Amino acid sequence: MQVTQNVAELCALLIDELHGELPSRIFAVLLNRGRANLPQLCQYTGMNALQLRNGLAVLLQHNLLYYQVDGSHAIYEANAEFAYNLLRTGKILEMIEVSFGPPAKDVMQSLLVSGQTRVSDLLSAYQEKIDHINKINATTMPLDDDEDSPDVKTNGVNGNSHSTKKSDTLVKSTAQLNSIICRLVEAELIDVVHPKTFQSPQDIIKTVEKEVTDRYFPAGVKGGRGKIEFQEKMAEALRKVRSESKSLKRKLEQNGTAAKRRKLFAGVGASNGTSDGTNGVNGAPEEDLDPALDPKQVIRINYEKCLVDLRNRRLVQFVSETIGEMTSYVYGVLLRLLTKQLPRCRLDPTMDLNPDGEEVDAEHRPVTTDEILDNLRTAVDLSLGFGKPQVKEISSKAAEKITEQPPKAKLFIAEAEVEGDASADESDDGSSSEEPGYDSDFKDQPAPAANGSKVQFADGSDTHWKRMGRPGQLRQHLLLLAESSQHFVRHCGQDQWTVDFEPLMRALREAELDAVIERTSGRQGLRLVRILRANGKLDEKALMNVALMRKAEVQQKMVEMQRAGFVQVQEVPRDNKADVKKSFFLWFCDVDKSYIKLTDNSYKSMVRCLQVLEVLRQKEKDVLMLTRRTDVKGREKDVMRKEYFDRYSRFQENERKLLAQVMRLDDFVALLRDF
Amino acid sequence: MSGRGGRGGRGGRGGGFGARGGGRSIAANSVPWNADPELTIDGKPSELFPAFNVPRAPALSRKEDKQVSCFLLFREQCHDSPLYTQSRTWNQNSNKVRRTYGQEQVNKRYGQTSKAMIDPFTAVPTYSQKFVQPERQLPNLESRPFATEFFPPELHATLEGDDIPGGPALKRRRTGPKTLGLSNITSLKTAEELFLGEGEHQRNGDDADLNKAMQVISSMEKRTEGDEDGFLSGDEDDWVKENAEEDGENLDDPDEYDDESGDDYNAEQYFEDGDGDDYDDGGGDDGGDYM
Repeated sequence: MQVTQNVAELCALLIDELHGELPSRIFAVLLNRGRANLPQLCQYTGMNALQLRNGLAVLLQHNLLYYQVDGSHAIYEANAEFAYNLLRTGKILEMIEVSFGPPAKDVMQSLLVSGQTRVSDLLSAYQEKIDHINKINATTMPLDDDEDSPDVKTNGVNGNSHSTKKSDTLVKSTAQLNSIICRLVEAELIDVVHPKTFQSPQDIIKTVEKEVTDRYFPAGVKGGRGKIEFQEKMAEALRKVRSESKSLKRKLEQNGTAAKRRKLFAGVGASNGTSDGTNGVNGAPEEDLDPALDPKQVIRINYEKCLVDLRNRRLVQFVSETIGEMTSYVYGVLLRLLTKQLPRCRLDPTMDLNPDGEEVDAEHRPVTTDEILDNLRTAVDLSLGFGKPQVKEISSKAAEKITEQPPKAKLFIAEAEVEGDASADESDDGSSSEEPGYDSDFKDQPAPAANGSKVQFADGSDTHWKRMGRPGQLRQHLLLLAESSQHFVRHCGQDQWTVDFEPLMRALREAELDAVIERTSGRQGLRLVRILRANGKLDEKALMNVALMRKAEVQQKMVEMQRAGFVQVQEVPRDNKADVKKSFFLWFCDVDKSYIKLTDNSYKSMVRCLQVLEVLRQKEKDVLMLTRRTDVKGREKDVMRKEYFDRYSRFQENERKLLAQVMRLDDFVALLRDF
Repeated sequence: MSGRGGRGGRGGRGGGFGARGGGRSIAANSVPWNADPELTIDGKPSELFPAFNVPRAPALSRKEDKQVSCFLLFREQCHDSPLYTQSRTWNQNSNKVRRTYGQEQVNKRYGQTSKAMIDPFTAVPTYSQKFVQPERQLPNLESRPFATEFFPPELHATLEGDDIPGGPALKRRRTGPKTLGLSNITSLKTAEELFLGEGEHQRNGDDADLNKAMQVISSMEKRTEGDEDGFLSGDEDDWVKENAEEDGENLDDPDEYDDESGDDYNAEQYFEDGDGDDYDDGGGDDGGDYM
């Protein structure tokens, strides 16, 4: 992550928002000044050592710093990645709540609030809380009954809702907590803190480099062959360091994964066939199956894997916008199966790629249709959401085309688009030839149920599709995904499916960039950019000819877009004198540069949002002071005067809007930078 | 707004003419409106703030709303944790935000809250300040356990809470083991949202929904109706006590607790039916006994 001034400001603001002014000031200085030790920090910040020590402790506890002990002092360095990820807390928590249930979210939240935590501390904290709640329940429940005895009915309802609510959101026992942590560890969302966690990546590379040279190349690295060998050794050593944080997961996997344990248990003698074993803790026996975690281990959140899951959600959302609900559901299941073993979104060039640029230990096991079918909910009706043309009108050869190789990495964008258009045309043809039949049918049929499928086809074919059964219907969805212009899925073998994330995400990024260009400089601008992308570098005259636009218009648009950072210009002199009047000016667009510019702009707008929030806070200071009082907090409406409460609720509304805006901007940044 | 703009424009133009007449003699027919008698000039100045279509962000989707709620709840819990430092040392009362050049000037912005900066209108001790949580200048590190092996040695004393100005001898002795306290804040709701949200939550059955709503209403009525009853009954009492424990200071008497938030002194209540009545009644009773 490149730390620009805007990132630095944003990180400092985020830490200020969540952890207070003291750590934020230290963090800002560390970002601006680079790594520093305690006396240097004293000098930079003008704070005393006591304050600094406390602030640094808080920052370290939240994993926001790297450090290295050097003699008597430690040298601290800011971890901007983690600081930025604080912004994503809301998204990550919401995601965990959806896919693992509210108790898991509660556990993750506690972990995030308290920073890195020893398992035993977490267990005892939850034990204490559970005891406390039990005590309250034991004392208040009978009391309630006595008081409200005439009003039996409402009281009953009250009791029910109370208990259901509690059981929903709270962890009921330490066994359950243990099993939740186990599942999160297996999903790699939680990993282990080890001594090297707090070394900055550069430091790790340096130490590993030293180790490798000492061990394998005492005489120094010589020759091209030696260099390659050295790189391989380095990559291997770095991977080893990286995998240290997965030690807990490996230990769990020695006993078989959770799904396996559950299956074994079911085979042994449980009568309840829990088909839905992947999500939801269904009872006490299952929890007992999870081995107790080593209480000494210290755990923390693993943002890399969280990002993988967030990317999956993003893709599912995209599919549901472009194709349909049902297909997106299928896609979600496919992605979940496919990314189970995928530790991060983007490969690290030093570790994961060998010198030829190919992936090391690529474990891209494709997912089979049967696997997906096993993981679908049985209640889902797969027959919805795809077109049902006559069988004879489908070219099954084209539809079932198998592409074994991933697309070339350097695929020119224009080609990809042409390809996409072609396939879209085909499908258009198919539906238009069906048109008359569709119309006539539509007249005597009752209105079809709103099922998400855009086209309703003839009756005769419908029965065929119904008869096809679930596997066939599932295949239709998958083929639809494979056929789409974005190539969401690759049909890589008979009934085998995989996703090429890199080209897919590239296409998505491009689509997003196009949308931004269209918003800022209009359709004409977008058209010019596309021409440049298709043709490479172009002189102004050539551009005019290709675009069929007037000179003034082209110039104006291009300058406008250059200022926005979407296109760049290169000056090529004709001769040695480099006369400006005679040189060529070639327009071109460098997509990566535009991304960097756009992300930086987004950081800036996020900073502005947070600053506006602070200004609002200053404006409503008196109201907010009041709401922070212990007798007012939580029951503002009852206690506060109306005008005050109105001001307060207006502030809250604005706060939500601003934070949501920041999160939207983060969606954009995530797509451009992280996915 | 347009009227004001017009007037300003006219004045300006008049001035221009005067200057031109007095100074150089520009050919009178060189100005365009003399050459073309049919030309009418719209003398209005261009509008200072022309109508602009401000782009508006779309309303929050349900998912976004939930994400924001998650973030806000997380923030509340963070602020509740012992690692959080509430105090803001830059001077919040000055509205001027000055540009800063260099670290030194940035540093000078902080450390501005001192006794001299206290607002005299809020500084007088009042009863309701009892409910204001004291601000922490430094995180309360000694209250919770840490995995000290992952911290550099120079911070170990700080983590143990031994790092105080007077030396470790002055340290307050803690009793009992350190525990990682979990936040008590488990939901992010004002009373209004509690009312609405619960209703939504119970959508599964209309009956339950209605009952719930009725119950919330009745409990609210109860709360507003009988001051004393409401506050002495079970859960309110608990609530006050809990908070007192949290703060580490004792509220002497929950009975004294006054519902009025802003006004600590309510003269009317005092004279009409506040404590005065109680004293009267008491007096009367006593009198009866003696007689």
